[in-house]
Amino acid sequence: MTLIRIDNVSIAYGNPPRTVLDEIDLHIDEGEFICLVGQTGCGKSTLLRLVLGSEQPSQGRVLIDGREHKRPDSTRGYVPQKYSLFPDKTVLDNITFGCEVSEFGLLGLLTPRYYQRRAEFRAQAYGYLRRIGLTESDAKKYPDQLSGGMQQRVAIAQALMTKPRILLMDEAFSALDPGTRKGMQRLIRQLWRDTGTTVLFVTHNMHEALFLGTRVIVLAKETPEHGSRVALDLAVPEHCGDEEAALLTHRLESISEGSAEMEAATPAIS
Amino acid sequence: MATAFLQIHSKPSRISTLTISYFLFAAGIAAYFYTAAQRHRDNPEERVTPTLQQMAQGFYDAALKPAEEDADLADNATLSQRIFGSMLWKDTKATSRRFALSMLLLLPAVILGMHMGLFPYVGVFFLRFVLFFDKIVALSLLPILFIAFGIDELSKIMLIVIGVTPTIILDAFNLTKGVPPEQVVKAFTLGANDFDVAYRVVLKQIWPRVLNSIRLNLKAVMLFLFAGEMIASTDGLAYRIALLRRHMGMDVIIPYVLWVALLLFLVDLAMRMANRWLHPWFREA
Repeated sequence: MTLIRIDNVSIAYGNPPRTVLDEIDLHIDEGEFICLVGQTGCGKSTLLRLVLGSEQPSQGRVLIDGREHKRPDSTRGYVPQKYSLFPDKTVLDNITFGCEVSEFGLLGLLTPRYYQRRAEFRAQAYGYLRRIGLTESDAKKYPDQLSGGMQQRVAIAQALMTKPRILLMDEAFSALDPGTRKGMQRLIRQLWRDTGTTVLFVTHNMHEALFLGTRVIVLAKETPEHGSRVALDLAVPEHCGDEEAALLTHRLESISEGSAEMEAATPAIS
Repeated sequence: MATAFLQIHSKPSRISTLTISYFLFAAGIAAYFYTAAQRHRDNPEERVTPTLQQMAQGFYDAALKPAEEDADLADNATLSQRIFGSMLWKDTKATSRRFALSMLLLLPAVILGMHMGLFPYVGVFFLRFVLFFDKIVALSLLPILFIAFGIDELSKIMLIVIGVTPTIILDAFNLTKGVPPEQVVKAFTLGANDFDVAYRVVLKQIWPRVLNSIRLNLKAVMLFLFAGEMIASTDGLAYRIALLRRHMGMDVIIPYVLWVALLLFLVDLAMRMANRWLHPWFREA
Protein backbone atom coordinates (compact mmCIF):
# COMPACT_ATOMS: atom_id res chain seq x y z
CA MET A 1 0.00 0.00 0.00
CA THR A 2 1.39 3.38 -0.95
CA LEU A 3 2.01 5.48 2.14
CA ILE A 4 4.00 8.38 0.70
CA ARG A 5 3.25 9.61 -2.80
CA ILE A 6 5.58 12.19 -4.24
CA ASP A 7 3.66 13.41 -7.22
CA ASN A 8 5.57 15.27 -9.92
CA VAL A 9 7.33 17.49 -7.37
CA SER A 10 9.66 20.33 -8.34
CA ILE A 11 11.21 22.95 -6.10
CA ALA A 12 13.22 26.03 -6.98
CA TYR A 13 15.09 28.49 -4.77
CA GLY A 14 16.46 31.96 -5.08
CA ASN A 15 16.20 34.76 -7.56
CA PRO A 16 16.50 33.98 -10.44
CA PRO A 17 14.99 30.63 -9.44
CA ARG A 18 17.37 27.70 -9.53
CA THR A 19 15.67 24.34 -9.76
CA VAL A 20 16.87 21.91 -7.10
CA LEU A 21 14.43 19.06 -7.64
CA ASP A 22 12.90 18.50 -11.05
CA GLU A 23 9.68 16.51 -11.45
CA ILE A 24 10.32 13.85 -8.86
CA ASP A 25 7.79 11.01 -8.92
CA LEU A 26 7.98 8.38 -6.20
CA HIS A 27 5.71 5.92 -4.47
CA ILE A 28 6.79 4.62 -1.11
CA ASP A 29 5.02 1.68 0.48
CA GLU A 30 4.33 1.18 4.14
CA GLY A 31 7.17 -0.65 5.89
CA GLU A 32 9.88 0.16 3.36
CA PHE A 33 13.33 1.33 4.42
CA ILE A 34 14.23 3.92 1.81
CA CYS A 35 17.73 5.35 1.56
CA LEU A 36 18.03 8.59 -0.36
CA VAL A 37 21.54 9.11 -1.64
CA GLY A 38 23.31 11.63 -3.82
CA GLN A 39 26.09 14.14 -3.79
CA THR A 40 26.18 17.27 -1.68
CA GLY A 41 23.68 19.78 -3.01
CA CYS A 42 21.63 17.27 -5.00
CA GLY A 43 18.54 18.08 -2.96
CA LYS A 44 18.16 14.86 -0.99
CA SER A 45 17.65 16.76 2.25
CA THR A 46 15.23 19.08 0.46
CA LEU A 47 13.17 16.08 -0.61
CA LEU A 48 13.15 14.89 3.00
CA ARG A 49 11.97 18.31 4.18
CA LEU A 50 9.18 18.20 1.61
CA VAL A 51 7.96 14.95 3.10
CA LEU A 52 8.43 16.45 6.54
CA GLY A 53 6.25 19.41 5.56
CA SER A 54 8.71 22.07 6.68
CA GLU A 55 9.03 23.12 3.02
CA GLN A 56 6.46 23.28 0.26
CA PRO A 57 7.05 22.24 -3.35
CA SER A 58 6.93 24.88 -6.10
CA GLN A 59 5.03 22.37 -8.20
CA GLY A 60 3.39 19.01 -7.54
CA ARG A 61 2.16 17.47 -4.31
CA VAL A 62 3.43 15.30 -1.50
CA LEU A 63 0.68 13.01 -0.23
CA ILE A 64 0.95 11.06 2.97
CA ASP A 65 -1.69 8.41 3.26
CA GLY A 66 -3.63 10.29 0.57
CA ARG A 67 -3.51 13.66 2.35
CA GLU A 68 -1.33 16.72 1.95
CA HIS A 69 0.40 17.85 5.17
CA LYS A 70 1.41 21.47 5.02
CA ARG A 71 3.43 21.42 8.23
CA PRO A 72 5.35 18.94 10.37
CA ASP A 73 3.14 16.87 12.65
CA SER A 74 3.19 13.67 14.65
CA THR A 75 2.62 11.34 11.67
CA ARG A 76 6.26 11.78 10.77
CA GLY A 77 9.08 11.44 13.27
CA TYR A 78 12.30 13.35 12.62
CA VAL A 79 15.93 12.75 13.52
CA PRO A 80 18.26 15.45 12.16
CA GLN A 81 22.05 15.29 12.15
CA LYS A 82 22.46 17.99 14.81
CA TYR A 83 20.32 19.65 17.48
CA SER A 84 18.15 16.57 17.65
CA LEU A 85 17.60 16.75 21.42
CA PHE A 86 16.26 19.53 23.62
CA PRO A 87 19.31 20.72 25.56
CA ASP A 88 17.25 21.88 28.56
CA LYS A 89 15.66 18.49 29.21
CA THR A 90 17.17 15.37 30.70
CA VAL A 91 17.42 12.22 28.60
CA LEU A 92 14.27 10.85 30.22
CA ASP A 93 12.31 14.06 29.74
CA ASN A 94 13.49 14.23 26.14
CA ILE A 95 12.14 10.76 25.47
CA THR A 96 8.81 11.35 27.18
CA PHE A 97 8.35 14.88 25.78
CA GLY A 98 6.42 13.70 22.72
CA CYS A 99 3.86 11.76 24.75
CA GLU A 100 3.50 14.52 27.33
CA VAL A 101 3.08 17.30 24.82
CA SER A 102 0.56 15.43 22.69
CA GLU A 103 -1.65 14.58 25.66
CA PHE A 104 -1.23 17.59 27.95
CA GLY A 105 -1.24 21.28 27.14
CA LEU A 106 0.51 23.76 29.41
CA LEU A 107 -2.51 23.89 31.75
CA GLY A 108 -2.80 20.12 31.65
CA LEU A 109 0.53 19.96 33.48
CA LEU A 110 -1.27 21.16 36.59
CA THR A 111 -3.76 18.30 36.73
CA PRO A 112 -3.13 15.23 38.91
CA ARG A 113 -3.78 12.96 35.93
CA TYR A 114 -0.60 14.31 34.35
CA TYR A 115 1.57 12.85 37.11
CA GLN A 116 -0.17 9.53 36.82
CA ARG A 117 0.37 9.42 33.04
CA ARG A 118 3.92 10.69 33.37
CA ALA A 119 4.81 7.67 35.48
CA GLU A 120 3.51 5.44 32.67
CA PHE A 121 5.42 7.39 30.03
CA ARG A 122 8.56 7.09 32.10
CA ALA A 123 8.19 3.35 32.47
CA GLN A 124 7.83 3.14 28.70
CA ALA A 125 10.83 5.44 28.22
CA TYR A 126 13.00 3.21 30.43
CA GLY A 127 12.04 0.34 28.14
CA TYR A 128 13.28 2.28 25.12
CA LEU A 129 16.36 3.37 27.03
CA ARG A 130 17.38 -0.25 27.53
CA ARG A 131 16.63 -1.11 23.91
CA ILE A 132 18.90 1.63 22.61
CA GLY A 133 21.65 0.44 24.90
CA LEU A 134 21.70 3.15 27.57
CA THR A 135 21.67 2.49 31.30
CA GLU A 136 19.17 3.85 33.80
CA SER A 137 21.84 6.13 35.22
CA ASP A 138 21.95 7.94 31.86
CA ALA A 139 18.30 8.94 32.25
CA LYS A 140 19.08 11.93 34.46
CA LYS A 141 21.87 13.27 32.25
CA TYR A 142 21.52 16.26 29.97
CA PRO A 143 22.20 15.83 26.23
CA ASP A 144 25.55 17.59 26.24
CA GLN A 145 26.83 15.12 28.83
CA LEU A 146 26.38 12.34 26.26
CA SER A 147 28.57 11.43 23.30
CA GLY A 148 27.30 12.15 19.78
CA GLY A 149 26.33 8.53 19.24
CA MET A 150 24.42 8.36 22.52
CA GLN A 151 22.60 11.57 21.66
CA GLN A 152 21.43 10.12 18.35
CA ARG A 153 20.30 6.94 20.10
CA VAL A 154 18.18 9.03 22.47
CA ALA A 155 16.87 11.07 19.53
CA ILE A 156 15.70 7.87 17.82
CA ALA A 157 13.98 6.69 21.00
CA GLN A 158 12.40 10.12 21.39
CA ALA A 159 11.02 9.99 17.85
CA LEU A 160 9.75 6.41 18.20
CA MET A 161 7.95 7.04 21.52
CA THR A 162 5.02 8.70 19.76
CA LYS A 163 4.84 5.78 17.30
CA PRO A 164 5.00 7.74 14.06
CA ARG A 165 4.14 5.83 10.86
CA ILE A 166 7.10 7.42 9.10
CA LEU A 167 10.55 8.12 10.48
CA LEU A 168 12.62 10.70 8.63
CA MET A 169 16.35 10.69 9.28
CA ASP A 170 18.55 13.38 7.78
CA GLU A 171 22.23 12.35 7.78
CA ALA A 172 21.49 11.11 11.27
CA PHE A 173 24.75 9.15 11.60
CA SER A 174 27.01 11.32 9.45
CA ALA A 175 28.72 13.09 12.33
CA LEU A 176 29.60 9.85 14.12
CA ASP A 177 32.87 7.93 14.06
CA PRO A 178 32.88 4.68 12.03
CA GLY A 179 32.69 2.31 15.00
CA THR A 180 29.74 4.10 16.60
CA ARG A 181 28.14 4.38 13.20
CA LYS A 182 28.15 0.61 12.66
CA GLY A 183 26.40 0.08 15.98
CA MET A 184 23.81 2.72 15.16
CA GLN A 185 23.12 1.12 11.79
CA ARG A 186 22.46 -2.25 13.41
CA LEU A 187 20.23 -0.55 16.00
CA ILE A 188 18.06 1.27 13.48
CA ARG A 189 17.73 -1.91 11.36
CA GLN A 190 16.59 -3.77 14.45
CA LEU A 191 14.12 -1.07 15.49
CA TRP A 192 12.78 -0.87 11.95
CA ARG A 193 12.13 -4.65 11.94
CA ASP A 194 10.47 -4.53 15.37
CA THR A 195 8.25 -1.52 14.81
CA GLY A 196 7.43 -1.79 11.13
CA THR A 197 7.85 1.96 10.76
CA THR A 198 8.48 3.28 7.26
CA VAL A 199 11.93 4.88 7.26
CA LEU A 200 13.23 7.54 4.91
CA PHE A 201 16.97 7.84 5.49
CA VAL A 202 19.11 10.49 3.82
CA THR A 203 22.83 9.78 3.58
CA HIS A 204 25.75 10.49 1.27
CA ASN A 205 27.40 7.21 2.16
CA MET A 206 26.53 4.52 -0.47
CA HIS A 207 27.79 1.73 1.73
CA GLU A 208 25.51 2.78 4.55
CA ALA A 209 22.58 3.08 2.13
CA LEU A 210 23.09 -0.46 0.82
CA PHE A 211 23.49 -1.91 4.29
CA LEU A 212 20.38 -0.22 5.70
CA GLY A 213 17.87 0.15 2.93
CA THR A 214 15.41 -2.17 1.30
CA ARG A 215 15.40 0.34 -1.51
CA VAL A 216 18.01 2.90 -2.53
CA ILE A 217 17.06 6.00 -4.49
CA VAL A 218 19.85 7.98 -6.14
CA LEU A 219 19.24 11.63 -6.91
CA ALA A 220 21.52 13.24 -9.50
CA LYS A 221 21.62 16.15 -11.89
CA GLU A 222 21.73 15.36 -15.59
CA THR A 223 23.41 18.67 -16.32
CA PRO A 224 24.59 21.34 -13.87
CA GLU A 225 21.78 23.74 -14.89
CA HIS A 226 18.97 21.26 -14.30
CA GLY A 227 17.48 20.13 -11.03
CA SER A 228 18.05 16.64 -9.69
CA ARG A 229 15.97 13.72 -10.85
CA VAL A 230 15.73 10.14 -9.74
CA ALA A 231 18.79 8.63 -11.42
CA LEU A 232 18.29 5.16 -10.02
CA ASP A 233 15.62 3.41 -7.99
CA LEU A 234 17.11 0.16 -6.77
CA ALA A 235 15.50 -2.59 -4.75
CA VAL A 236 18.33 -3.92 -2.60
CA PRO A 237 18.71 -7.70 -2.90
CA GLU A 238 17.81 -9.54 0.29
CA HIS A 239 21.13 -11.31 0.70
CA CYS A 240 23.88 -9.23 -0.68
CA GLY A 241 27.40 -10.74 -0.60
CA ASP A 242 30.49 -8.64 -0.01
CA GLU A 243 31.54 -8.75 -3.63
CA GLU A 244 28.10 -7.85 -4.91
CA ALA A 245 27.84 -5.06 -2.37
CA ALA A 246 31.16 -3.62 -3.49
CA LEU A 247 30.04 -3.70 -7.10
CA LEU A 248 26.71 -2.06 -6.23
CA THR A 249 28.43 0.62 -4.19
CA HIS A 250 30.67 1.39 -7.14
CA ARG A 251 27.70 1.52 -9.48
CA LEU A 252 25.74 3.84 -7.19
CA GLU A 253 28.73 6.13 -6.84
CA SER A 254 29.22 6.43 -10.59
CA ILE A 255 25.54 7.16 -11.13
CA SER A 256 25.42 9.80 -8.43
CA GLU A 257 28.55 11.45 -9.84
CA GLY A 258 26.74 11.77 -13.15
CA SER A 259 27.16 9.90 -16.43
CA ALA A 260 29.12 12.70 -18.10
CA GLU A 261 31.97 12.43 -15.63
CA MET A 262 31.91 8.66 -15.83
CA GLU A 263 32.42 8.65 -19.57
CA ALA A 264 35.32 11.02 -19.20
CA ALA A 265 36.87 8.87 -16.50
CA THR A 266 36.50 5.50 -18.21
CA PRO A 267 39.18 5.84 -20.93
CA ALA A 268 41.71 7.00 -18.42
CA ILE A 269 41.30 3.75 -16.47
CA SER A 270 41.51 1.43 -19.48
CA MET B 1 60.04 33.85 34.90
CA ALA B 2 61.27 37.31 34.08
CA THR B 3 61.19 36.54 30.38
CA ALA B 4 57.79 34.87 30.56
CA PHE B 5 56.22 37.93 32.23
CA LEU B 6 53.84 39.88 29.96
CA GLN B 7 53.74 37.21 27.30
CA ILE B 8 50.64 35.59 25.86
CA HIS B 9 51.82 32.25 27.16
CA SER B 10 52.63 33.35 30.67
CA LYS B 11 50.66 31.64 33.44
CA PRO B 12 50.22 33.74 36.57
CA SER B 13 50.40 31.64 39.75
CA ARG B 14 47.58 31.72 42.30
CA ILE B 15 49.45 34.05 44.58
CA SER B 16 50.40 36.51 41.86
CA THR B 17 46.84 36.43 40.50
CA LEU B 18 45.54 37.36 43.92
CA THR B 19 48.02 40.15 44.54
CA ILE B 20 48.01 41.58 41.03
CA SER B 21 44.23 41.64 40.70
CA TYR B 22 43.84 43.65 43.93
CA PHE B 23 46.63 46.06 43.11
CA LEU B 24 44.41 48.71 41.51
CA PHE B 25 41.99 48.60 44.45
CA ALA B 26 44.83 49.19 46.87
CA ALA B 27 46.38 51.89 44.70
CA GLY B 28 43.05 53.70 44.32
CA ILE B 29 42.32 53.64 48.04
CA ALA B 30 45.85 54.74 48.89
CA ALA B 31 45.75 57.59 46.37
CA TYR B 32 42.43 58.78 47.79
CA PHE B 33 43.51 58.85 51.39
CA TYR B 34 46.84 60.43 50.53
CA THR B 35 45.02 63.23 48.69
CA ALA B 36 42.48 63.53 51.49
CA ALA B 37 45.17 63.78 54.16
CA GLN B 38 47.04 66.39 52.16
CA ARG B 39 43.97 68.53 51.54
CA HIS B 40 42.96 68.35 55.19
CA ARG B 41 46.43 69.51 56.21
CA ASP B 42 46.06 72.54 53.93
CA ASN B 43 42.48 73.27 54.96
CA PRO B 44 40.92 71.67 58.07
CA GLU B 45 37.43 72.63 56.83
CA GLU B 46 37.89 70.61 53.62
CA ARG B 47 34.63 68.90 52.48
CA VAL B 48 35.38 67.42 49.05
CA THR B 49 37.58 64.56 50.25
CA PRO B 50 36.29 63.38 53.64
CA THR B 51 38.58 61.26 55.79
CA LEU B 52 37.78 57.69 56.76
CA GLN B 53 36.43 58.80 60.14
CA GLN B 54 34.16 61.37 58.55
CA MET B 55 32.80 58.82 56.07
CA ALA B 56 32.32 56.24 58.83
CA GLN B 57 30.45 58.84 60.87
CA GLY B 58 28.41 59.82 57.81
CA PHE B 59 27.49 56.24 57.03
CA TYR B 60 26.73 55.53 60.69
CA ASP B 61 24.38 58.51 60.79
CA ALA B 62 22.76 57.50 57.52
CA ALA B 63 22.22 53.94 58.64
CA LEU B 64 20.95 54.68 62.16
CA LYS B 65 19.38 58.14 62.07
CA PRO B 66 16.27 59.32 60.26
CA ALA B 67 16.54 61.63 57.27
CA GLU B 68 16.50 65.38 57.82
CA GLU B 69 12.99 65.70 56.48
CA ASP B 70 11.68 63.06 58.91
CA ALA B 71 10.91 63.39 62.61
CA ASP B 72 13.63 62.33 65.06
CA LEU B 73 13.30 58.99 66.77
CA ALA B 74 12.78 58.70 70.49
CA ASP B 75 16.01 58.43 72.47
CA ASN B 76 15.14 54.96 73.78
CA ALA B 77 14.47 53.44 70.30
CA THR B 78 15.83 49.93 69.80
CA LEU B 79 18.50 49.13 67.21
CA SER B 80 16.04 47.63 64.74
CA GLN B 81 13.77 50.66 65.15
CA ARG B 82 16.77 52.82 64.42
CA ILE B 83 17.76 50.84 61.34
CA PHE B 84 14.27 50.68 59.86
CA GLY B 85 13.69 54.34 60.64
CA SER B 86 16.97 55.42 59.14
CA MET B 87 17.66 57.49 56.07
CA LEU B 88 19.64 54.73 54.37
CA TRP B 89 16.85 52.21 54.88
CA LYS B 90 14.21 54.64 53.62
CA ASP B 91 16.19 55.49 50.48
CA THR B 92 17.18 51.89 49.76
CA LYS B 93 13.59 50.76 50.14
CA ALA B 94 12.27 53.42 47.75
CA THR B 95 14.90 52.69 45.11
CA SER B 96 14.52 48.91 45.45
CA ARG B 97 10.77 49.18 44.97
CA ARG B 98 11.18 51.05 41.70
CA PHE B 99 13.95 48.69 40.64
CA ALA B 100 11.85 45.59 41.34
CA LEU B 101 8.85 47.03 39.49
CA SER B 102 10.94 47.78 36.43
CA MET B 103 12.46 44.31 36.49
CA LEU B 104 8.95 42.86 36.54
CA LEU B 105 8.05 44.95 33.52
CA LEU B 106 10.97 43.43 31.62
CA LEU B 107 9.17 40.08 31.68
CA PRO B 108 6.54 41.04 29.07
CA ALA B 109 9.42 42.38 26.96
CA VAL B 110 11.03 38.93 26.95
CA ILE B 111 7.73 37.27 26.02
CA LEU B 112 7.17 39.79 23.23
CA GLY B 113 10.67 39.33 21.83
CA MET B 114 10.23 35.55 21.89
CA HIS B 115 6.95 35.81 19.99
CA MET B 116 8.52 38.18 17.48
CA GLY B 117 11.29 35.71 16.80
CA LEU B 118 8.98 32.73 16.50
CA PHE B 119 5.83 34.01 14.79
CA PRO B 120 6.65 35.73 11.49
CA TYR B 121 3.60 38.02 11.53
CA VAL B 122 4.26 39.19 15.07
CA GLY B 123 7.85 39.84 14.02
CA VAL B 124 6.81 41.81 10.96
CA PHE B 125 4.32 43.81 13.01
CA PHE B 126 6.72 44.89 15.77
CA LEU B 127 10.31 44.63 14.53
CA ARG B 128 10.67 47.89 12.58
CA PHE B 129 8.93 49.85 15.27
CA VAL B 130 11.01 48.42 18.09
CA LEU B 131 14.22 49.00 16.11
CA PHE B 132 13.18 52.62 15.66
CA PHE B 133 12.11 52.96 19.27
CA ASP B 134 15.43 51.53 20.40
CA LYS B 135 17.24 54.48 18.82
CA ILE B 136 15.26 57.11 20.74
CA VAL B 137 17.35 58.49 23.58
CA ALA B 138 15.09 57.72 26.51
CA LEU B 139 16.30 60.65 28.61
CA SER B 140 15.28 63.06 25.87
CA LEU B 141 11.72 61.87 26.45
CA LEU B 142 11.84 62.80 30.12
CA PRO B 143 9.97 66.12 29.77
CA ILE B 144 7.26 64.38 27.79
CA LEU B 145 7.05 61.61 30.38
CA PHE B 146 6.65 64.11 33.19
CA ILE B 147 3.81 65.73 31.29
CA ALA B 148 2.18 62.45 30.30
CA PHE B 149 2.60 60.47 33.53
CA GLY B 150 3.10 63.15 36.15
CA ILE B 151 6.24 63.60 38.21
CA ASP B 152 5.67 60.73 40.61
CA GLU B 153 6.44 57.01 40.42
CA LEU B 154 4.91 56.18 37.08
CA SER B 155 7.07 58.51 35.02
CA LYS B 156 10.23 57.09 36.58
CA ILE B 157 9.18 53.51 35.92
CA MET B 158 8.21 54.46 32.38
CA LEU B 159 11.62 56.00 31.82
CA ILE B 160 13.27 52.70 32.70
CA VAL B 161 10.78 50.74 30.64
CA ILE B 162 11.28 52.93 27.60
CA GLY B 163 15.03 52.97 28.03
CA VAL B 164 15.64 49.28 28.60
CA THR B 165 12.77 47.24 27.14
CA PRO B 166 13.66 47.75 23.45
CA THR B 167 17.08 46.24 24.14
CA ILE B 168 15.56 43.31 26.00
CA ILE B 169 12.92 42.78 23.29
CA LEU B 170 15.58 42.76 20.56
CA ASP B 171 17.81 40.49 22.63
CA ALA B 172 15.04 37.98 23.22
CA PHE B 173 14.19 38.23 19.52
CA ASN B 174 17.75 37.46 18.47
CA LEU B 175 18.09 34.65 20.99
CA THR B 176 14.87 33.12 19.67
CA LYS B 177 16.16 33.40 16.12
CA GLY B 178 19.28 31.59 17.33
CA VAL B 179 17.34 28.49 18.37
CA PRO B 180 18.09 25.87 15.68
CA PRO B 181 15.07 25.33 13.39
CA GLU B 182 15.55 21.59 13.92
CA GLN B 183 14.32 22.05 17.47
CA VAL B 184 11.06 23.62 16.37
CA VAL B 185 10.48 21.00 13.66
CA LYS B 186 11.32 18.23 16.07
CA ALA B 187 8.80 19.54 18.61
CA PHE B 188 6.09 19.65 15.94
CA THR B 189 6.82 16.08 14.88
CA LEU B 190 6.42 15.05 18.51
CA GLY B 191 2.90 16.45 18.54
CA ALA B 192 3.47 19.92 19.99
CA ASN B 193 1.32 22.87 18.91
CA ASP B 194 2.51 26.45 18.40
CA PHE B 195 1.91 27.31 22.03
CA ASP B 196 3.89 24.31 23.27
CA VAL B 197 6.77 25.15 20.95
CA ALA B 198 6.85 28.73 22.20
CA TYR B 199 6.61 28.09 25.93
CA ARG B 200 7.87 24.54 26.45
CA VAL B 201 10.70 24.43 23.94
CA VAL B 202 11.91 27.87 22.88
CA LEU B 203 11.30 29.99 25.98
CA LYS B 204 12.85 27.36 28.25
CA GLN B 205 15.92 27.23 26.03
CA ILE B 206 16.52 30.95 25.74
CA TRP B 207 15.73 31.73 29.38
CA PRO B 208 19.27 31.41 30.80
CA ARG B 209 20.63 33.62 28.02
CA VAL B 210 17.83 36.11 28.59
CA LEU B 211 18.76 36.24 32.27
CA ASN B 212 22.35 36.94 31.30
CA SER B 213 21.21 39.67 28.98
CA ILE B 214 19.14 41.23 31.78
CA ARG B 215 22.21 41.03 34.00
CA LEU B 216 24.17 43.00 31.41
CA ASN B 217 21.39 45.57 31.32
CA LEU B 218 21.19 46.02 35.09
CA LYS B 219 23.53 48.95 34.70
CA ALA B 220 21.18 50.59 32.21
CA VAL B 221 18.18 50.01 34.50
CA MET B 222 20.02 51.71 37.36
CA LEU B 223 21.16 54.53 35.12
CA PHE B 224 17.63 55.43 34.11
CA LEU B 225 16.35 54.90 37.63
CA PHE B 226 18.97 57.29 39.02
CA ALA B 227 18.32 59.86 36.33
CA GLY B 228 14.62 59.83 37.20
CA GLU B 229 15.27 60.00 40.95
CA MET B 230 17.79 62.81 40.67
CA ILE B 231 15.48 64.98 38.60
CA ALA B 232 12.15 64.45 40.29
CA SER B 233 11.81 62.54 43.52
CA THR B 234 11.42 62.94 47.26
CA ASP B 235 13.23 59.79 48.28
CA GLY B 236 15.59 57.16 46.93
CA LEU B 237 19.35 56.69 46.90
CA ALA B 238 19.94 58.94 43.90
CA TYR B 239 17.65 61.63 45.32
CA ARG B 240 19.79 61.68 48.47
CA ILE B 241 23.00 61.90 46.49
CA ALA B 242 21.63 64.80 44.45
CA LEU B 243 20.35 66.51 47.60
CA LEU B 244 23.59 66.13 49.56
CA ARG B 245 25.60 67.37 46.60
CA ARG B 246 24.07 70.80 47.18
CA HIS B 247 25.81 71.14 50.54
CA MET B 248 28.86 69.08 49.65
CA GLY B 249 27.91 66.10 51.83
CA MET B 250 30.69 63.97 50.41
CA ASP B 251 30.99 62.08 53.72
CA VAL B 252 27.60 60.52 52.91
CA ILE B 253 27.77 60.55 49.12
CA ILE B 254 30.86 58.36 48.88
CA PRO B 255 29.48 55.64 51.19
CA TYR B 256 26.20 55.84 49.24
CA VAL B 257 27.99 55.29 45.94
CA LEU B 258 29.76 52.26 47.37
CA TRP B 259 26.51 51.00 48.90
CA VAL B 260 24.75 51.20 45.50
CA ALA B 261 27.64 49.36 43.84
CA LEU B 262 27.47 46.67 46.52
CA LEU B 263 23.71 46.26 46.11
CA LEU B 264 24.00 45.99 42.34
CA PHE B 265 26.82 43.49 42.69
CA LEU B 266 24.66 41.39 45.02
CA VAL B 267 21.68 41.49 42.63
CA ASP B 268 23.95 40.41 39.80
CA LEU B 269 25.46 37.65 41.91
CA ALA B 270 22.03 36.41 42.98
CA MET B 271 20.88 36.29 39.36
CA ARG B 272 24.01 34.43 38.32
CA MET B 273 23.58 31.87 41.11
CA ALA B 274 19.88 31.48 40.33
CA ASN B 275 20.71 30.97 36.68
CA ARG B 276 23.19 28.24 37.48
CA TRP B 277 20.86 26.60 39.94
CA LEU B 278 17.76 26.74 37.72
CA HIS B 279 19.51 25.72 34.51
CA PRO B 280 22.10 23.07 35.33
CA TRP B 281 22.18 22.12 31.63
CA PHE B 282 23.32 25.56 30.55
CA ARG B 283 27.00 25.98 29.69
CA GLU B 284 28.10 29.52 29.19
CA ALA B 285 29.73 29.82 25.81
